[in-house]
Amino acid sequence: MKKRTKTPITSSNIIIFVITFVIAVIFVFPIFFNIMSAFKSNADILRDALAFPTELYTESFKYLLTKTDYPKAMLNSAILTVGSIIAMVVIIPMAAYAIERTNNRWTNAIYVFFLFGMMVPFQVYMIPLFKQLNMMGLFGNLLGPIMIYIAGSVGFGVLLYTSFLKGVPREIEESAEIDGCSRIGIFWRIVFPLLGPVTASMVVLQGLGIWNDFLMPMLVLPSGQTKTMIVELFYYVGEFSSRWDMIFAGTTMSLVPVLLAFLSLQKYFVKGVSSGAIKG
Amino acid sequence: MNASTSSIKRKQWWRSYAIWFILPAFLLYCIFVMVPTFSSIYLSFTSWDGISDNIRYIGFENFKEIWNSPRVHNALTNTIIVAIALVILENVVALLLAILVDQVRWLKNLFRSIFYFPVLMSGIIMGFIWMIILNYNFGVVNQLLDLVGLSALKTDWLGNPDYALLSIILSTVWKASGYYMIIYLAGLQGIPQELLEAASIDGAGKWKQFWHVTFPLLAGATTVCVMLSMINSLKLFDQIAVMTNGGPGFATETLTYIIYKVAFGEGRQGFGTALAIVLFILIMIISLIQIRLLRKREVQM
Repeated sequence: MKKRTKTPITSSNIIIFVITFVIAVIFVFPIFFNIMSAFKSNADILRDALAFPTELYTESFKYLLTKTDYPKAMLNSAILTVGSIIAMVVIIPMAAYAIERTNNRWTNAIYVFFLFGMMVPFQVYMIPLFKQLNMMGLFGNLLGPIMIYIAGSVGFGVLLYTSFLKGVPREIEESAEIDGCSRIGIFWRIVFPLLGPVTASMVVLQGLGIWNDFLMPMLVLPSGQTKTMIVELFYYVGEFSSRWDMIFAGTTMSLVPVLLAFLSLQKYFVKGVSSGAIKG
Repeated sequence: MNASTSSIKRKQWWRSYAIWFILPAFLLYCIFVMVPTFSSIYLSFTSWDGISDNIRYIGFENFKEIWNSPRVHNALTNTIIVAIALVILENVVALLLAILVDQVRWLKNLFRSIFYFPVLMSGIIMGFIWMIILNYNFGVVNQLLDLVGLSALKTDWLGNPDYALLSIILSTVWKASGYYMIIYLAGLQGIPQELLEAASIDGAGKWKQFWHVTFPLLAGATTVCVMLSMINSLKLFDQIAVMTNGGPGFATETLTYIIYKVAFGEGRQGFGTALAIVLFILIMIISLIQIRLLRKREVQM
């Protein structure tokens, strides 16, 4: 950006480029290796892991998609991710809005109470939670994890939204109020659209986290019809321990949507990481 | 008078909307985070097995066992090794990547994306890929060692207790550094160009410019990255589950892993929650230090 135009190419330009390129190859290799191996037969992988596929071998994809529960698991992962995200961006910004705009003793106490949750890692409460879901009849039900994900992101989400809301002027809301618009109407029609950047960051970061999550779905959706992709893959590593082609095909199907989402929404990923980091 | 009644009315109206807006988040947070967290604290004083209704209070027995158990000590040592190694390596690699991406003349955005790619992966997938890459017979690493004539260095990277933890640490550095790179990069791009130019006019070389201008100005990004990487390294789980399952022996068991194994593998949920409380205290201490450091910095600014 600083010295793109007109300045002559120096030797340090070239040295930096070569170093960066070599490191980039190391970084991209495992991913490339994964996708490449998905198109090789098991025998080919075992014969020479580094060789390029001689032909496009798609049997492992066909097998996974027709003979196993993998399509169901993909659907579960998608429902879980989309469902949690939608619920999150409905529930959390509303709470953050009420906290920021009311700003009295009570809402401040609730704010601190919510932030406290950011310090509690999932492992601390997973054991009682497991039992609790059983008692509530939510064990093995996708609704359970959806609510756990929302609850787990309340602290972080409220923090992001309230700090953004501080910079959103109240004047428009006040004039809408005079015009007789209800609170719900003011929030959804006027405030929520202004929160777009935070919502985008929440969606990409939390969406990625949920799509890739392992421990919680494995504990509460362990078997049968509600397994997620990542949990299914984890069991494949045990079950198909000698069928690497199958696992590579599975990981590729989980990875490619994420890579595509990243490439098209890159801006929000980068913003999300930096905004989340500054706050906590 | 008119004004005061309207302000009272208004206050009540405000309050009622606030309650309804906050309530869903509040309820979910209480039911699915706070209630189980407090149950954890209670259960850590019991010998509950996770199944029976008979929950027996045993006082500080679990914590005494933690204090005396060599397996827990081993897990704690591993956790500390992992945390220190990851904090140092991830931050050094991330800073290096950020500087390269900032300085490189061509394909800046492509390189940034590539370094970020591993962050997008699930720990399970990443663990599986590295498991294959590090496999003794068919793995890429051993193949490459053969190729360059260093067959003597070949080993079963994940099956050998001396290298298993190291393999997990290095592959995690590969996975996570891109995340911190983004934060350092934001920091680097916030440094005014004039400062560096002034330093170079004063005769500072590239290295001196980095140490005396760039690095001090990255202090904010460094604090954030160090704290985040430390907390994340304490939570490390997925890679271990798929790559070594805590083995060989107990060589790669960390605190989070031992909590899971004890509670769900060995049916000792009371003991598991006691370990979870230890993890909680560790993370709380780090978070409090982080808040203090960040506050201090705010004052300086």
